[in-house]
Amino acid sequence: MDSGKTLCSLLKAIQFQESAVFCALPEGLKLTVEEGKCVQASAYVPSDNFTEYHVRDDVDVMFKISIAVLSECLNIFGSGEESSLKMYYRGEGSPLLLVLQPQSMYNVMTDCEISTQTADSVLELRDEDAEEVAKLVLKAPAFLGLLADIERSCEVFELNLSPEHPNVSIVTYGMQDRSCIDMPKSSDMVQSFSCESPVTLRYQLHHIRSIMKALAISTKVVLRCSSNGLMLLQLKLEKEDQRQMFSEFYIVPLLDD
Amino acid sequence: MKCHVPGANVKVLARTVHALARFGDELYLESLPDCILLRTLNAAESAYAMVKFNKNFFSYFNYNFYSTEDNEGLKCKISMKSALNTFKSPAHIEKQVENLEIKLDPESCKLIFQLKCRHGIVKTHFVSILDCKAMQAVYTKDSVPNRISSPQRILSDALSNFQSSDDQVTLEATSHSLILRNYIDCSIDLTKVIRTQISLKPAEFDSYLIGADTTITFSLKEFRALLTFSEALNLPLQLHFETTGRPAVFIVHNGTTFEAHFVLATTKPDNASQTTATQNTNVERNKRKDTSTLGSAKKKPHLETDISKCLDEDSHLFNFVDMPGENEINLSNKLSGSIIKDNVNGKDRIDLMDCDNIPASPAARTMIKSVFKRCFESTFDPRSIQGAVLAENSDSD
Amino acid sequence: MKFRAVMIDAGPMREFSNVVTIISKLSKECVLRLTDDHLYFIVSEENSGPSPPVLWCEIPQRMFCSEYQMIGLDEEHKDIYMALSSGNLARSLVTLKTAKSLKMKLTKKQCPCLTLEIETPCVLSQQTRQVTHDIPVTVIPRKLWSDYHEPRIPDPDISIELPSLKQLRTTIDRMRTMASEVVIRASAEGRLTLQIKTDMAKVSTRFKGLNVEAFAGPIEHSDSETEETQANEDMSRICYCRVDAKKLSMFLSAEQIASNRTVCSVVHKKLVILCLQTDENVKLQCFISGIVY
Repeated sequence: MDSGKTLCSLLKAIQFQESAVFCALPEGLKLTVEEGKCVQASAYVPSDNFTEYHVRDDVDVMFKISIAVLSECLNIFGSGEESSLKMYYRGEGSPLLLVLQPQSMYNVMTDCEISTQTADSVLELRDEDAEEVAKLVLKAPAFLGLLADIERSCEVFELNLSPEHPNVSIVTYGMQDRSCIDMPKSSDMVQSFSCESPVTLRYQLHHIRSIMKALAISTKVVLRCSSNGLMLLQLKLEKEDQRQMFSEFYIVPLLDD
Repeated sequence: MKCHVPGANVKVLARTVHALARFGDELYLESLPDCILLRTLNAAESAYAMVKFNKNFFSYFNYNFYSTEDNEGLKCKISMKSALNTFKSPAHIEKQVENLEIKLDPESCKLIFQLKCRHGIVKTHFVSILDCKAMQAVYTKDSVPNRISSPQRILSDALSNFQSSDDQVTLEATSHSLILRNYIDCSIDLTKVIRTQISLKPAEFDSYLIGADTTITFSLKEFRALLTFSEALNLPLQLHFETTGRPAVFIVHNGTTFEAHFVLATTKPDNASQTTATQNTNVERNKRKDTSTLGSAKKKPHLETDISKCLDEDSHLFNFVDMPGENEINLSNKLSGSIIKDNVNGKDRIDLMDCDNIPASPAARTMIKSVFKRCFESTFDPRSIQGAVLAENSDSD
Repeated sequence: MKFRAVMIDAGPMREFSNVVTIISKLSKECVLRLTDDHLYFIVSEENSGPSPPVLWCEIPQRMFCSEYQMIGLDEEHKDIYMALSSGNLARSLVTLKTAKSLKMKLTKKQCPCLTLEIETPCVLSQQTRQVTHDIPVTVIPRKLWSDYHEPRIPDPDISIELPSLKQLRTTIDRMRTMASEVVIRASAEGRLTLQIKTDMAKVSTRFKGLNVEAFAGPIEHSDSETEETQANEDMSRICYCRVDAKKLSMFLSAEQIASNRTVCSVVHKKLVILCLQTDENVKLQCFISGIVY
């Protein structure tokens, strides 16, 4: 690709574990990171973001790689610099090769060989039988603002969704206090909202906060809750050239004792 | 109590809370017929802040909404952390918040802060009330000989020359100059610390009146906090101080809607180690000898408490408090209490009229549930003595 | 011993402040040596923190000071050596960038001090106000002066002009997160390579077309070393040295004052010398010793 900068930002947004599973699918690249069995984050880069994209379609091209090293390499010329990026992978056991060349300087280039390992299987959190009970589409920066305002020391993030006003209510509990953010569906921040019947779901606040880096670089976020409480947040990042990249977060709810 | 703060003023309230948070961990709120007072005191009882918001600061003001008895406003204490949580980022607040409603929920005994923000978002914070009492400190503001009024930029500019590790500053005021120095404790190794001194000229200030040459030393942490406060609101700062050992009062106000008083206790600096003038070694050695013998004596606290003055004030204000007999007993207990406290700590403290300390006055047992029982402790106002020209505090007869 | 110097020009004052700031980033303590013509800031291994690079900085007094007087120890030993905290000095000089003048003198308060008197403009009026800082110093006795002479170094095998320091620093900082040591390879063809190698990754950043100042003849390599080469490289014209990445990065923060030329000299496998010169003729040299297994 001409510039690895956005890819690098995207990878940093899901970098909360040491390693990721790198999948090169015919449709595009997908990297997945898992934290415990509670949070699963993926970065998805559709193939049209690349000027050239070739993947073998007879086998699954999948390996485990250190996402920290990968994003440092992508950033080797600094975040102020747009560098062209080439990636090569020969096969099972080979390292991932990167070649980067900055656009503003002609006499320098960096090549990297990053070692890979066999990928563990990716946990499938989606439950085909669970139906979607609510969907909320928001502007990403606005949602980021709300999350940033929540007291970090609170443990629980309680989400109340209902067809009645206020439609969306986020409640957090502190040592002795309670804070509540109400967002009616009439708000400009909400692009769409659907919810059949009232539902209350609870998650660990620090899991919800893990999406903040991704929110900061995205334009839109879709929040879907299924009947088993699993929350899916889909974030869309739109670049200047109209191409899109995505990040996805599955968060498992807190079970009632 | 119930009141509404219009958008533009919410930022002032936010800045106030952030400044008060650098002083103490608990926030006292008191609502009176014509104003609301926010106060805090630091743990060492050496720094006190009081900010008064007049009725015209609010778009709706009802000081005793929900009160079962007439004329009874709200007196409560909440955790500073809860207050900070409500006013998280002052810069943000300016852009986001349209209106703020503060009201008391008598059922759950919580103070409710409801911020109506842009885009239809409503943020509500239910803050637990820790206790129901008021707190007030005694200090003189107007009869002081030394008064300086300054644009805050001058002082914060001067302070930028100091290290962030410096924690106390000495102000040496004469009619020709104002010298600021970082204060160095005797116990610190002099070979490791930079000494910095800045000399400011009277002409730099808006008004400069030094009746008596004075040297005072106070904590930088709170001083920086109050400078940040006046900078954020773009208002000048007034310094009122008198002799060494007496508290220094810093005032920030906008003339109409609010007034903030920051009171810092002062200590006597150790003169020999402070001056940066190059000295003859012999002279220096002699001076050092002197200070070392005086060292222990100097550490003894100054009892600047002017007890007779307090009594005068009390008698003056007894007139509007209900239970004269009990108050007399209370007062003497209180005074002995404050004297004992002063002896404990080397640093001079502000006299503290903490209602809660009043012992054994049976009717004065205030409990969380009985928010509306009258607070029987004396709540006299020290500033009414000097005929100070203050619009507020018309509680005195 | 007596010392008094005054600076009144904005440019030199700004540069002086920058130079001292950089020194303070490299080391907490330093030695200031005063001679008739120069001020020297010296950092050596023993002084401070986790072994910083050895640093030698020469400031020509005449380009900086409008007045400069000093009287050394005695007729034979004309210099003054004193040790001070570079951090303290740097912090005090921060306001120098907007100051009108700086006066430095050696004084004796409770202990020997370098007193700085800075005249800064007042915020709101035309007047100036004076800020005084007393920085405690330790005078270094004559018998220890030999520790602080200009380091004698072997002739380098190659001297090559470095690309933009800012660029180098960005790259080295990224590499630092992955490895603690970096190999600097320079070739007589004008190529410089920075390389790190760990279990997880091997990253090489290659610069070409750099100006070679000097090349001291063919380098000898043992056979085991030649395995790393690219097919078309002539190993006799390449030398390299493995250094600590953190030290290198700290020196590269000098990019703030570097004017146009920074020269890197390498003594094969043993030493890397980075030398830069600023607009006002300040010469800063940094010596990083090579790591050998």
